[in-house]
Amino acid sequence: MAGLTRTAGAFAVTPHKVSVCILLQIYAPSAQMSLPFPFSSVSQHNRLGLYLLSLTKSCDDIYEPKLEELINQLRDVGEEMDAWLTDHLTNRFSSLASPDDLLNFFNDMRGILGSLDSGVVQDDQIILDPNSNLGMFVRRCILAFNLLSFEGVCHLFSSIEDYCKEAHSSSAQFDASNNDLESLIHYDQMDMEIYAIDKATEELELQKNVNRSVPFHLHTPEAIFKVIEGWRVSPKESSRTSKKITEATLVASASSSTVEDTLVDESLFLRTNLQIQGFLMEQADAIETHGSSSSFSSSSIENFLEQLQNLAPELHRVHFLRYLNKLHSDDYFAALDNLLRYFDYSAGTEGFDLVPPSADCSMYGRYEIALLCLGMMHFRFGHPNLALEVLTEAVRVSQQLSNDTCLAYTLAAMSNLLSEMGIASTSSVLGSSYSPVTSTASSLSVQQRVYILLKESLRRADSLKLRRLVASNHLAMAKFELMHVQRPLLSFGPKASMRHKTCPVSVCKEIRLGAHLISDFSSESSTMAIDGSLSSAWLKDLQKPWGPAVVSQDSGSRKSSTFFQLCDHSVSIPGSVSQLIGASYLLRATSWEFYGSALMARMNTLVYATLFGDHSSSSDGELAYLKLIQHLALYKGHKDAFAALKIAEEKFLTVSKSKILLLKLQLLHERALHCGNLKLAQPMCNELGGLASTAMGVDMELKVEASLREARTLLAAKQYSQAANVAHSLFCTCHKFNLQIEKASVLLLLAEIHKKSGNSVLGLPYALASISFCQSFNLDLLRASATLTLAELWLGLRSNHAKRALDLLHGAFPMILGHGGLELRARAYIFEANCYLSDPSFSVSTDSDTVLDSLRQASDELEALEYHELAAEASYLMAMVYDKLGRVEEREEAAALFKKHIIALENPQDVEQNMA
Amino acid sequence: MVSKENCRNEIRAAIRQLSDRCLYSAAKWAGEQLVGIEQDPSNFTPSNTRFQRGSSSIRRRFSTNESISTPQPSVGFSQAATPLPEEDETIDGDLYLLAKSYFDCREYRRASHVLRDQKSKKSVFLRFYALYLAGEKRKEEEMIELEGPLGKSDAINRELVSLERDLSALRSTGAIDSFGLYLYGVVLKEKGNETLAIASLVESVNSYPWNWSAWSELQSLCTSIETLDRLNLNNHWMKDFFLGYAYQELRMHTESLAKYDYLQGIFSFSNYIQAQTAKAQYSLREFDQVEIMFEELLRNDPYRVEDMDLYSNVLYAKEACAALSYLAHKVFLTDKYRPESCCIIGNYYSLKGQHEKAVMYFRRALKLNKKYLSAWTLMGHEYVEMKNTPAAIDAYRRAVDINPSDYRAWYGLGQAYEMMGMPFYALHYFRKSIFFLPNDSRLWIAMAKCYQTEQLYMLEEAIKCYKRAVNCTDTEGIALNQLAKLHQKLGRNEEAAFYFEKDLERMDAEGLEGPNMFEALVFLATHFKNHKKFEEAEVYCTRLLDYSGPEKEKAKSLLRGIRMAQTGFPSMDLEHFPI
Repeated sequence: MAGLTRTAGAFAVTPHKVSVCILLQIYAPSAQMSLPFPFSSVSQHNRLGLYLLSLTKSCDDIYEPKLEELINQLRDVGEEMDAWLTDHLTNRFSSLASPDDLLNFFNDMRGILGSLDSGVVQDDQIILDPNSNLGMFVRRCILAFNLLSFEGVCHLFSSIEDYCKEAHSSSAQFDASNNDLESLIHYDQMDMEIYAIDKATEELELQKNVNRSVPFHLHTPEAIFKVIEGWRVSPKESSRTSKKITEATLVASASSSTVEDTLVDESLFLRTNLQIQGFLMEQADAIETHGSSSSFSSSSIENFLEQLQNLAPELHRVHFLRYLNKLHSDDYFAALDNLLRYFDYSAGTEGFDLVPPSADCSMYGRYEIALLCLGMMHFRFGHPNLALEVLTEAVRVSQQLSNDTCLAYTLAAMSNLLSEMGIASTSSVLGSSYSPVTSTASSLSVQQRVYILLKESLRRADSLKLRRLVASNHLAMAKFELMHVQRPLLSFGPKASMRHKTCPVSVCKEIRLGAHLISDFSSESSTMAIDGSLSSAWLKDLQKPWGPAVVSQDSGSRKSSTFFQLCDHSVSIPGSVSQLIGASYLLRATSWEFYGSALMARMNTLVYATLFGDHSSSSDGELAYLKLIQHLALYKGHKDAFAALKIAEEKFLTVSKSKILLLKLQLLHERALHCGNLKLAQPMCNELGGLASTAMGVDMELKVEASLREARTLLAAKQYSQAANVAHSLFCTCHKFNLQIEKASVLLLLAEIHKKSGNSVLGLPYALASISFCQSFNLDLLRASATLTLAELWLGLRSNHAKRALDLLHGAFPMILGHGGLELRARAYIFEANCYLSDPSFSVSTDSDTVLDSLRQASDELEALEYHELAAEASYLMAMVYDKLGRVEEREEAAALFKKHIIALENPQDVEQNMA
Repeated sequence: MVSKENCRNEIRAAIRQLSDRCLYSAAKWAGEQLVGIEQDPSNFTPSNTRFQRGSSSIRRRFSTNESISTPQPSVGFSQAATPLPEEDETIDGDLYLLAKSYFDCREYRRASHVLRDQKSKKSVFLRFYALYLAGEKRKEEEMIELEGPLGKSDAINRELVSLERDLSALRSTGAIDSFGLYLYGVVLKEKGNETLAIASLVESVNSYPWNWSAWSELQSLCTSIETLDRLNLNNHWMKDFFLGYAYQELRMHTESLAKYDYLQGIFSFSNYIQAQTAKAQYSLREFDQVEIMFEELLRNDPYRVEDMDLYSNVLYAKEACAALSYLAHKVFLTDKYRPESCCIIGNYYSLKGQHEKAVMYFRRALKLNKKYLSAWTLMGHEYVEMKNTPAAIDAYRRAVDINPSDYRAWYGLGQAYEMMGMPFYALHYFRKSIFFLPNDSRLWIAMAKCYQTEQLYMLEEAIKCYKRAVNCTDTEGIALNQLAKLHQKLGRNEEAAFYFEKDLERMDAEGLEGPNMFEALVFLATHFKNHKKFEEAEVYCTRLLDYSGPEKEKAKSLLRGIRMAQTGFPSMDLEHFPI
């Protein structure tokens, strides 16, 4: 609490600011001449001015460059007069021999300021306008210095000594063998230039092939980085991957350097409250974006935060950062500990800017936010019941304290929890707690409750103008509409008229409403921009204009463009907003996946990956990759998918709770099934099951997936009754946890099992049920494949149903051919041929092309899939047709193909070895 | 048994050596123990008897206590006596004398400068020690000068680096003595190198056991019983002092008491031992005994401030306003700027219900010592009284972060959150406090109450907690009653009857009466009647008849019903017996 009462945001004089002042003195000496001594041209003078402007702007950033870095930057700016500039700077510093010199220095500084009311300024005189940016900076420095006590001046003096000493020692370290400082600097600098050009050209090459990652960045010194960054005139077009790495290493190197230097650097290190808050905000973003990937180790952050905490024990925000960090490295106990500590200290009033400060909150604290965070933490660690209990308490407390904002967020979190975690029935959990909101719905099912919670949260968020929450609620609503059948809520029962459908239009509407967020933000821009990235954006941009100058001399045109870049930052969209919008694209992709448009799904995923990949959290980015790879596997075959998987693995495998492993297992399992390699398929399937948590209700998707695959494996092994058992129990689980869409595919699987076991009569009802499920959920593609199965069942029943089967198939053909994957298409083709062949009215000799065409199509597609069983069937049919037609040569060819596939099917291990 | 005379001689020499090296607090401690040894009658001087008179009265008062509880441990004082080190120079150098006087005037840097070229071990130690203290002093000043908006505390002792370098050089050449090792240990500890620090301190106390400061530093590094057991310490009577202290800090109070009992055999009049015993007894909640001990202690040593905050806690618990104010006044006159004094005054105001003033004094105590654990906790209590929960939570949390095993502060946190209507959140804190003190029924009852709140209403869990409370010998008797009621509420009449009976037994044993008694009797009577155990029912009914009020009428009607049922009439009375 003590930290809150003290004044925040004070401006402190630091050695770095002193050096900026020295430079300012060079820029605007109080002498009367149009162009001060060292400058040879006006443009040179202006360049220094611009540089100083960006330096003063970046003074609010958390890191202040060391003297060495400053000198390096000066070299880029100063061109031929750099030596003079650095000399002057170091000389000026070494002339500060006692605190009194500091006092004199700041007295002199006053001289470069023009007086506020002086109208008589001579034309050729350079005087800083006291109200300009630079003038303000000088005035702030002078004021801050004058406020210092004598002890403060002494501390400043000794830290300046450290500041200079450090620069000396590090440059001496750079090349200890060479004692001559003058030549050392010269040599050093030449080396730098060559190096920079070298790297820059390399960078240019790299930008051409964007997809290659840039590992060499990890080893280049930081200064060069910044030089290189200058090359990226328009950062949006530049490569995503390399930028990401750059950021990560920037953070990592920055933190590691502070860890090393804190003993020397403490007094330099502590900045104003606002700076640190901004910086911490940025770190929090970074933690979320990178998760616990290798380039961004959680222990280095932890170290750094510990240091920070030692330095600023009243900065409670650090505890929250530690919590976030621990959360992402899956350390439950430490996360819990830090979360509680943060709220104990800050009472939830420090750092949560989403809540506008009101008069009454300071008295009671905002502990309901603690409950909200705790609930979300339990959710993430997979304790749904605990999370629900905590969130219920959060609802109650925020109602009690009439904190509507928190209530809206809590309700949203709760609905998210209920929809994500498979909670069979909430009555057992919620029954014990009496909360007005939740208890009104005590008789309702889980999804109805989710609906109510969402509506409630949306209403509140709307009235409170919480735009982000509104957007994310719209997205959640879209998801809900996508996954659940809408029924009238209150009139419930058999008599009520049921609109037993999902409505794609409303899904689309919700998604669009969610995406409105972006326009909201561009129109009101600055109010939400307390995003931390702003203060440091200045420093990042700082280096940009100077990079090209090293290589090319025509810097005039570039300078103007950098101004726009600087301005650009003030209207930039906060990371959280773009993340939400990105999520809306992902959701669009998913909904198209459900509705059966492969193209639209792919397109939306690609949009996401290209536009929002930078800002997304690692798990969202991973999901996008996952979708693309799955698409590849379905439409291009396994080879391409595995190649893509390799790339994704490098990128995401280190992320905690990575879904990549899951995807890999799925793909391997799929291929093993296709190749008929059951020995491989079984362990894959088991491993999938092992990935799921043992706790009830957690990872439902994974659990369903695992048993679905188990049933399919059993089916492939021709153990029909066992497969049917597994599918049955799976259906029961889906029913219990309200997984409607999964139910449709389980029903289809059951129909499939009965079909394979030759029990077509039993299969029919399942297929029909599946179709009706698909109809009410608008799952067009799944419906088409269910229709195919239905047709197959009819044909299996008796061959004289061929006509009916063919009709069914032709009804589904547009969907299957337009959007279906390779396997589905091949199956449809083969089945069509089968139908024709078994139709007694069809004569092969007259109409052979219809059959042969589809068979050829089928075998082409199966080749890519390596699906031996179906391929064998196709070639068998082909051989038969050719035989009928008397085309012996082609018959033999088809037969050979048949033989090949059969052999492959029987000896799957050989194929594996060949592959290897 | 080590002879008292030996002890005395050892300590006398040690005091001289310690004060030669300006280790004053260790010398002070040793001095206290010296006069704590029973005087042998040969050199009986009138000045000595002053200590003797008061102390012997304590022995008288506790003679019964002691005769039972002093079985001499078999290990005993069989240790070989550590020989006293010879001084390396009999005549102190002039420069040393000058330096020491500078040191005594607290001009540390000057002292160390004077000794810069001295080679004798004593001078070398004094030089390093003065340097260390100079660094500490500067650190304290810087802490205030540099305090930023976020409570910066990164000021460090700037001498540590050079001290560590020099001392480790000395150590590797073997030119370091036990005092140097002590200082080396302290420096290492400050630099965060705990294992090396422990090794260095152990070496120091093994070669020179009389330096209590070294022992205390060692104790502060023994944060777990495992570390303590791993120490390789020579046997010496000082080790027993150390163990007693260490056990106490590790909350092994009975072990610690045993050690002190044993030491009292030699140091029968030691105020230190008495205060430590009182501390341990306080942790065991023997308030009456503790009060008497502190009274004696104050009579012998009226200007003592150390440990008096504990005494004030006892007086607070006993609500002895007058005594507390007397104590506060006395301590205030002795030394008003000691954290203990401020704490005592805070306690006094708290007892008087003037919480703002209490908070002010606790704040002052904390200003004097930021790590003063009990002041944080007590301040938390005050804020709770003032209904300023955020401040209370903040204060408790600071106490917990200073010492994570402070169960009082965890308990306070739980209570504060429960007050704000967040019982589920509070549970975590109660669990924490119980983890550190699993045998306290009050904590279990608090947790059970939390489960019982209408927001949670998790009665099964509450029952479990109450059961644990009963097992921990719940002195206030809440648990049994609550258990019975909860079972009754859940319709488990057998269990309810069981616990009502137990509760009744307890109340009988303690001679208590009250509404709980009536409730139990009524329930039991009705219960047994319903189960046709008329004899038992009658017993309870007749007990009820002893009291006046509505219960008596109830008992009468119950008895009537029983009679009817016993005589075989079908129960046709109009009364129904609601449970």
